Amino acid sequence: MTTKEYLSNNIVKEFAKGGLVLVIIAALTLEATSIIQFYFSQKGIKEEARMRAESEMAATELKILNVVDQAESAVRNSIWVAQWCLAVPDSLQAVARRIVADNPVVVGSTVALVPGYNRKRPLYAPYCYKMPGSDSLCFKSLATKEYDYPSQEWFSEPVRTGKGYWSEPYIDEGGGDMLMTTYSVPILDRDGETAAVLTADISLDWLTDLVGGIKVYPNAVNLVVSRAGQIMVCPAESLVMRRSFMEVATRADDTSSVNKLGRSMMNGDSGQMVFKQKGKTYHVFFAPVERTGWSISIFIPDSEIFGSIKRMGMLVKLLQLLGIAMLILILRAVAKNQVKYQEVSKNKERMEKELQIASGIQMSMVPKIFPPFPERHDLDMYGAIIPAKEVGGDLYDFFIRDEKLFFCIGDVSGKGVPASLLMAVTRSLFRTVAGHESSPQRIVSTLNDSMSDMNDNNMFVTFFCGSIDLLTGHMRYCNAGHNAPLILQDEIKVLTVDANLPLGVLPGYSYTEQECDLNYDDALFVYTDGVSEAENIHHELFGERRMRAVLSQRRSSKEHLDAMERAVSAFVGEAPQSDDLTMLFIHFMNDKTKDERERHLILHNDIQQIPQLAEFIETIAQDKHLDQSLAMSLNLALEEAVSNVIMYAYPEGADGLVDIEAVLRDKSLEFIISDSGSPFDPTAAPVADTSLDVSERQIGGLGIYLVRNIMDRVEYRRENGKNILSMTKNI
Amino acid sequence: MEININKTDSTVTVEFIGRLDTPSSLEASKAIEPVLEDAGKTIILECKDMSYISSSGLRIFLTIRKAAAAKGGKVIVKNIGDDIRNVFMMTGFLNLFEIQNG
Repeated sequence: MTTKEYLSNNIVKEFAKGGLVLVIIAALTLEATSIIQFYFSQKGIKEEARMRAESEMAATELKILNVVDQAESAVRNSIWVAQWCLAVPDSLQAVARRIVADNPVVVGSTVALVPGYNRKRPLYAPYCYKMPGSDSLCFKSLATKEYDYPSQEWFSEPVRTGKGYWSEPYIDEGGGDMLMTTYSVPILDRDGETAAVLTADISLDWLTDLVGGIKVYPNAVNLVVSRAGQIMVCPAESLVMRRSFMEVATRADDTSSVNKLGRSMMNGDSGQMVFKQKGKTYHVFFAPVERTGWSISIFIPDSEIFGSIKRMGMLVKLLQLLGIAMLILILRAVAKNQVKYQEVSKNKERMEKELQIASGIQMSMVPKIFPPFPERHDLDMYGAIIPAKEVGGDLYDFFIRDEKLFFCIGDVSGKGVPASLLMAVTRSLFRTVAGHESSPQRIVSTLNDSMSDMNDNNMFVTFFCGSIDLLTGHMRYCNAGHNAPLILQDEIKVLTVDANLPLGVLPGYSYTEQECDLNYDDALFVYTDGVSEAENIHHELFGERRMRAVLSQRRSSKEHLDAMERAVSAFVGEAPQSDDLTMLFIHFMNDKTKDERERHLILHNDIQQIPQLAEFIETIAQDKHLDQSLAMSLNLALEEAVSNVIMYAYPEGADGLVDIEAVLRDKSLEFIISDSGSPFDPTAAPVADTSLDVSERQIGGLGIYLVRNIMDRVEYRRENGKNILSMTKNI
Repeated sequence: MEININKTDSTVTVEFIGRLDTPSSLEASKAIEPVLEDAGKTIILECKDMSYISSSGLRIFLTIRKAAAAKGGKVIVKNIGDDIRNVFMMTGFLNLFEIQNG
């Protein structure tokens, strides 16, 4: 796995972890809310169901009682007539008839005499009833052997208790299979003796309709159970009057609950109960019907009561799931974005790091040890690159070779790594070319040709290259499209530069070289446009005027550059530094007189430089008014000594210098020749024997012989890793 | 430095013009190689326009002289100036060459 993948996986994992926690918390919160909501709604709904059931049951009871009352009052209102008729039993039939005729709810009535009360009629029970389906009245006697009315409950109970009594409902098989119940009251005679029982039969067909019409919930089941547990009203008609509730209860899944329910109902209690049947939960609300001993009950399936809330619960759950799903999706998207963002910022970071490295390389390429030439008193120079945030392509470089300061400054077009790379190339080309080439024009031309060849990106470099002869102050320079440096002499001037093309634009372009002379205390300020074109927030440029103001102070080179940086920084203020600030300050401080300078010569270890000795001697000869012969002799001695160094002091191919100093005195001339080559004492070398014949003469050894002959004193010493040969000629 | 070589049946004339310093001598040593092949003849080294000679120049003279000696030839150094004569004298070269002036 690559680091990137690893990282992104890690991020995803972290996010997944965090996300999971978040999702779980959200889910739990939602769930808890919905549970609480569900709990309270459930409670409310349950309460509502109870209230609805109870009010329905109360209303039903009222309706039942209305009928019951009618029957009871019909009976009670006839009690006195019946009492009055006891003496004339035949008239009792008329009482029954009147009850039936006058009361629509009453379908049948009898006045049954207590057996043996009337001696003439030991059993007497004239019964009047409505023909089913018509209003016509029929009569029959209940005093039959088969029926045996005294044993019937409707008769025996009132007689026994002396109170009115609602019989158990029953099916009247003779009268059209109607569900009936009978209200019966005892009739007492004047003596207070129970003489007869007066009854009114009422049909309970309306009860089925009434109770069946209760619609608390669409699928609620309503039951009416008699005192004895008979099922009077039930949607399952097969059970009506054929099964008792307790019988049905034995078939229930939750027998004990249903039994308990049955007992409560038969006791005439009211209340509610929950039981399960075939996996379904039922809520039962039950209440007694006064006087009749019946019990109305409403069975409501759980799903009916909580159906809506459950549906709503489902909806809420669905919404929750949707929400959580969305949350997960969002988290995923965020995680992915995070990964992307992290990758982007990783990339950015890496690029920034690379740019920093590039910048570091850039910085490490330019000379940065300051002061660069602490041993020199003729030169005070300082260089600085203050890089912009983004690595740029500024460069400077300098070095001293053959007592000449070679320096350059450049600004690569563009920014970033490509610019930095081109800068590196430019700088290394400069080092290479200027290492052996002394003419700035040829250095620039060579750089231009090399860079034009490999310039695929159409980048270019503005470049200023100069060489200052530190002995004479003579400067040669070539400007390739760069800002003209400022030259600090009696006044600050812009150095005159020819308009040449920048490097890398046109191969083979002929650059022009210019020259000028620096005197003691003259200085050169070389810079890139990062300095002159530094911009403040008002888009004003730093400009030449401000540079001149800084440079007009008398300072060391380092102080000049520090001051310039401070001035630019103060000027720019809040505005971001857009370009590298690159500056070189070269303070020429060779205070030797022209004469003194002319008495010093430094040669490269190149035999072709030998002719310079002649010129050197010539100036001295003129100076000291030496005759031609002596000048030639001195030249010869010097040449012998110097060529010796050039040819033998340094390993072949290695670069080295020979320093020749002439010390002019009134009576003598001293030449001090020094080099850093391998130790060699020419004074100790074998000297040619000039007395030998041609065949014996050796080719070598002539040089030092000549030196010794020409000079009056020749001394060698090794000092500080240098060979120093001192030759003195008395004049 | 300029070196002109003129050959006749019996003589080879080598004319040195300018300064025979160390770098010039390096060139000259190549230039005079054909002269060494004719070392059996009389070799005339014309020095009237030679303004300077260093030890490496002297070595060329010596090389020619040795070649002539080996082949039985003869070397005549013509028209050397005082300064160069002085060098010849210092180095004992006056004894090695036949010097003709005028």
